[in-house]
Amino acid sequence: MEETKLKYFSSSPHVKGKRTTRGIMLDVCIALLPACIAGCVFFGWRALMIIALSAVTACASEIVYLLILRRPLKKILAEFDFTSLVTGLLLAMCLGPQVPWYVPVLSAIFAIVVVKMIFGGTGKNLVNPAATGRIFAFLSFGSAMTSGWLSPLTGEVLTGATSLTGLLESGQMPDNLSLLFGNVAGCIGETCKIALIAGGVYLVIRGVIDWKWPVIYIAVTGLVAVALNKFDFNYFLPSVLGGGLILGAIFMATDYTTSPNTTWGCAIYYVLLGAVTAVLRHATGIEVVSFAILLMNLFVPLIDKFVINRPFGFVRQKRKKEAQQ
Amino acid sequence: MKTDFKKIAVDGVITSNPTLKLVLGTCPTLALTTLAMNGIGMGAAVTFVLICSNVFISLLRNVIPDKVRIPAFVLIIATFVTIVRLVLDKFLPSIYESLGLYLPLIVVNCIILARAESFASKNGPLASAADGLFMGIGFTLALTIMGAFREILGAGSIFGVKLWDFKIEFFASSAGAFFTYALFIAVFGFVSYTLHTKKKIKNYRIKDVSPAETETAKEV
Repeated sequence: MEETKLKYFSSSPHVKGKRTTRGIMLDVCIALLPACIAGCVFFGWRALMIIALSAVTACASEIVYLLILRRPLKKILAEFDFTSLVTGLLLAMCLGPQVPWYVPVLSAIFAIVVVKMIFGGTGKNLVNPAATGRIFAFLSFGSAMTSGWLSPLTGEVLTGATSLTGLLESGQMPDNLSLLFGNVAGCIGETCKIALIAGGVYLVIRGVIDWKWPVIYIAVTGLVAVALNKFDFNYFLPSVLGGGLILGAIFMATDYTTSPNTTWGCAIYYVLLGAVTAVLRHATGIEVVSFAILLMNLFVPLIDKFVINRPFGFVRQKRKKEAQQ
Repeated sequence: MKTDFKKIAVDGVITSNPTLKLVLGTCPTLALTTLAMNGIGMGAAVTFVLICSNVFISLLRNVIPDKVRIPAFVLIIATFVTIVRLVLDKFLPSIYESLGLYLPLIVVNCIILARAESFASKNGPLASAADGLFMGIGFTLALTIMGAFREILGAGSIFGVKLWDFKIEFFASSAGAFFTYALFIAVFGFVSYTLHTKKKIKNYRIKDVSPAETETAKEV
């Protein structure tokens, strides 16, 4: 206990807030609940099983990793923040409901152990664990991930592509209203946009995320998609509502650890993220939100290095005068 | 001058393992470790070239002028690589096919150039031959173990023998190559570091304790 007391000992008046990592992560979990429920309603017990498997594996692998490092179990449980639960839930959200059981398990282990714990645990990961776990699943089990999407409510297996790949490959316009309510084939958590947006609004009200950034990301993606399709504004809504863009924008891109610290840094980050997503989608014809997030996460340290807040009262030195003197 | 062959052997396989410690020759390591068999083929080819080029460079080390030593080294290495290519093409066409472009690239492989520069040009032919042999063995072992790891996980087989249907395609892709390489470097570094520190602590204890004990014994 003495060690933890020492941490609060510092000069200057500091205000100690009531917010904890655990509280914020619980908020994120609550925000994810409507999307989980919607996924279970649309895709049945199988979706619930995948969500549960992914979440349980994520938490268990963090605890097992710490046990291997010989931390006492009591301390692990006392310090357990729910970040790995959030990672597990998010990972399950972007898997299809038809995947076999080992896909969520292996990707959750990869996401937690390799992406998060090896780099030092919560707050020290270089890239978003859930997005990287999804990429691992996509690269490893590509055939299981992208074939045989389940049709919602009826549960029959569709052999065709999802609405987004249909749009990207053949310019087929999906029905925007069913995209919004989630009555389309797709990943568990990505289909019902209303539930995701409700979760996002909850997070904004609780002050966990800033409303500007997801909106900027989504808008830039839509606008660049429009520009790439010869300014045909019919492309705006389907490319915004299709695929995992809203899930990625609200829950993955806004991760504290992997987004820049400053306001202007964030502006650069989210605008570039939107542009990269739209351009890569146009170029490859597959859903690339997780790849775009991974790519831009790697640029965050660079952005943080060059975009620095001006300290209060700081006056920039004038170079011309120096040269004259 | 007496050469310490045991030190050369330990150096080549463990303490300065070309792949896992010196991180040399990464290009064939990343590209060819999809199958364990590739590791053995590539390792054998590199070992042969290493031994021959080391011996010749060591013999000619007093003749080659300092300023043109790199072109001279490359010329000697290229000769042996050509021999390996012709022999493999004639007698083992399947391995020649699977190694493909990476066989002629042995000419500019950093392991061979580095050993020529740092060992063969300073030591006698016998020691250089031993150095080439053990460096080659270290390279072959690292490549084969990494290849086996990636083959088991990525293709569900080992040395071409099928084990099961389950496969994680990530490890067969190039992203998996980088990941596996990093993992092996980390594990190898960790193991050798712990062994090294344990040895050091042991040595310190013996040195520290023995004079102190004799002193206390005298006082009593």
